[in-house]
Amino acid sequence: MSEMRQTLEDSARKVFPNWEAARDASDAWAQVAPLGWFMTGVPEKMGGLGLGDEGLAIIFAELGRALVPGSVLSQFLVIEALVAGTPFEERDDLLERAIGGEVMTASLAIGGPSSEAVMDADKASHILLRREDEVALIPQDGARLIARETWDVSRRLFDVAVVDEAHRYVVARGQKAAQLNNRLDTLLCIALAGDALGGARAALGLTLDHLKGRSQFERPLAMFQALKHRVADLKMKIDTADAFYTDRTSQSLTALEAGELKNFCCAVYRDTVEDAIQLHGGVGLTTEYAIHRFFKRAFLNCALGGDADYWNERAGRAAMAESQAKA
Amino acid sequence: MSTDLQDFRAEIRQWLDREAPTDWRSAATHDAFVESQRAWFRKLVAAGYAVPHWPERWPGGGRTLLEQKIIYEELSRADAPRLLLPFVSTYHAYATIGECGTQEQQERYLPAILDGETWCQGFSEPNAGSDLAAIRTKAVRDGDHYVVTGQKIWSTMAQYADMCLLLVRTSNEGAKQAGMTYLLMDMDSPGVTVRPIHQIQGDEEFAEIFLDEVRVPVGQRVGAEGAGWVVAQATLASERGLTLMELSYRMRGALTRIARQLMEAGRADDRGALRDLGALKIRIDAVCALADQFLRKRMDDEEQIGDASIVKLAYARCLRAYADLGVRFAGLDGQFHAPITFGDLNSGNWMADFMNSYAWTIAGGSDEVQRNIIAERMLDMPREPKSWTAEVAA
Repeated sequence: MSEMRQTLEDSARKVFPNWEAARDASDAWAQVAPLGWFMTGVPEKMGGLGLGDEGLAIIFAELGRALVPGSVLSQFLVIEALVAGTPFEERDDLLERAIGGEVMTASLAIGGPSSEAVMDADKASHILLRREDEVALIPQDGARLIARETWDVSRRLFDVAVVDEAHRYVVARGQKAAQLNNRLDTLLCIALAGDALGGARAALGLTLDHLKGRSQFERPLAMFQALKHRVADLKMKIDTADAFYTDRTSQSLTALEAGELKNFCCAVYRDTVEDAIQLHGGVGLTTEYAIHRFFKRAFLNCALGGDADYWNERAGRAAMAESQAKA
Repeated sequence: MSTDLQDFRAEIRQWLDREAPTDWRSAATHDAFVESQRAWFRKLVAAGYAVPHWPERWPGGGRTLLEQKIIYEELSRADAPRLLLPFVSTYHAYATIGECGTQEQQERYLPAILDGETWCQGFSEPNAGSDLAAIRTKAVRDGDHYVVTGQKIWSTMAQYADMCLLLVRTSNEGAKQAGMTYLLMDMDSPGVTVRPIHQIQGDEEFAEIFLDEVRVPVGQRVGAEGAGWVVAQATLASERGLTLMELSYRMRGALTRIARQLMEAGRADDRGALRDLGALKIRIDAVCALADQFLRKRMDDEEQIGDASIVKLAYARCLRAYADLGVRFAGLDGQFHAPITFGDLNSGNWMADFMNSYAWTIAGGSDEVQRNIIAERMLDMPREPKSWTAEVAA
């Protein structure tokens, strides 16, 4: 496990040492596929690396650390749908193309229509359409796309209206579709949790650099106890999220367990960037410093994959049920 | 997990099903609670579960950290009482005397711990809390004795202790740390007065110790004169991992108290309340994972400076959040006084739990001290100028 972690992290850090290295979306995309990342979760017998969620979890955190733009996360969802769904004639061909980097996309929303928050839909050959009783892949020209400009410029989201589904590939139906939807929710939540964790660590790093580098009252800002304590609290939260993430992603998760994880990590990311801007002072409000990029991505992560109210309520109901079962 | 460990777990579970006290929450006074603690400790000693962290030559000793973890997991699961009274004896006194004591001291004091001899810790003083090196309690050499005068505070259960781990000042020369000496003091020595501290929730878990020319034999010094600070580090480093894991698991188990509170208030479908409950549940799960990870790092010798501070801070803040939500959900009912439950941080007596939670945000290195350690030693943020008085004078 630690060897796999080392290998994956090393390769990620070589290609994307920091967010600037991943600044250009098409450059970044061209780098990701040759790294073999899209094969990570694919079973070995289907030509993948078979590293499971544990391997994917490491990559997700790296994507967040370097603010890798584009539809990498939705590509993983499409690949998972093809792997875990019911085989069909063109399946292997589509899977190979997706692993090779042909953009296929999916919605990053949970609990609402699967036609919003679809990443890079304009660049995609296919779009994953998730309904309760059917999961299908439609060619992009079967949909009308509406670009929705987001504050977070590292991600481009589209609303998608299906106009022609005659040429769709059905990936799963009925009971199997419910299972697959569950699995895709789980994977999406792990991905957002990892993105949040990696982003939070990087945002804390930038903040520390700033506090150590800037002096006021003839001493570095990092010497003021009032600021130290705030940074220490962030470090505590991030380390807690880190342990939670490592623990949960080493097991097979239900959608609720993954949602809880996503919720916690995203809240930590959000707390981190909220304080990070304040601790940067005036320059935190400019586009000349990178921290605003993390800030915006953190907030978007909170809204994707089921928001805090959604997951907290579900976790609360589960806790109530657990308590009743004990009584 | 190996079969051996599974067997070990099953063995403890069976034993606990038979032997774990179920009535410990009904102790009406602190004295009664302490009696129940003594009885529980005797049982654990006899069964070989009391000191799993001691070496193998002791009955029940020589357990791996993983086995110790299993013991504490099962104790939490069985809702058995925590071992509070013998805590300083089996961890602090054991580690200090075991690591730094003479052969003679080890033979005199360690077996006695298993027989129920109880230790307290005399470190903090009214003017030396977070800044422990500022202690003033003075020890003057007089032949083969030290004569000790001063005052100690926040000594857990000192009113029940037979012996005291005492940190004193033997010199005012040089660095504050260099003038400290470590003594083992009999609590029944002439000149020792113990005054229990009445805590805000009605407990008397801590006490003050007044020392008026108390004579302590030189043979009861641990380490050299002036080496007290170094010896004290052995005391302070003796435990943290298992306790925090145990406490996190107990808090997770006690989440049902908050759920029940909601149910009783007829708010089982109150979405706002459910969200707060859910957020707390997730947070406790995360803290449990953190405590687990910390223990694993210890087992693998991968612990880094500051890790212990992170876990303690995370647990302490979460404990506060737990009590906070309980108080809120209890509403006015929570404001009516109810008798406290001794030895339970998650009792469901919400105001008492809230007040109790300060024991973890203040004692054992306050949240603020932990934050300094995290900032300065993990994140490499610069320390503040050493001496305020020196700077003002300059």
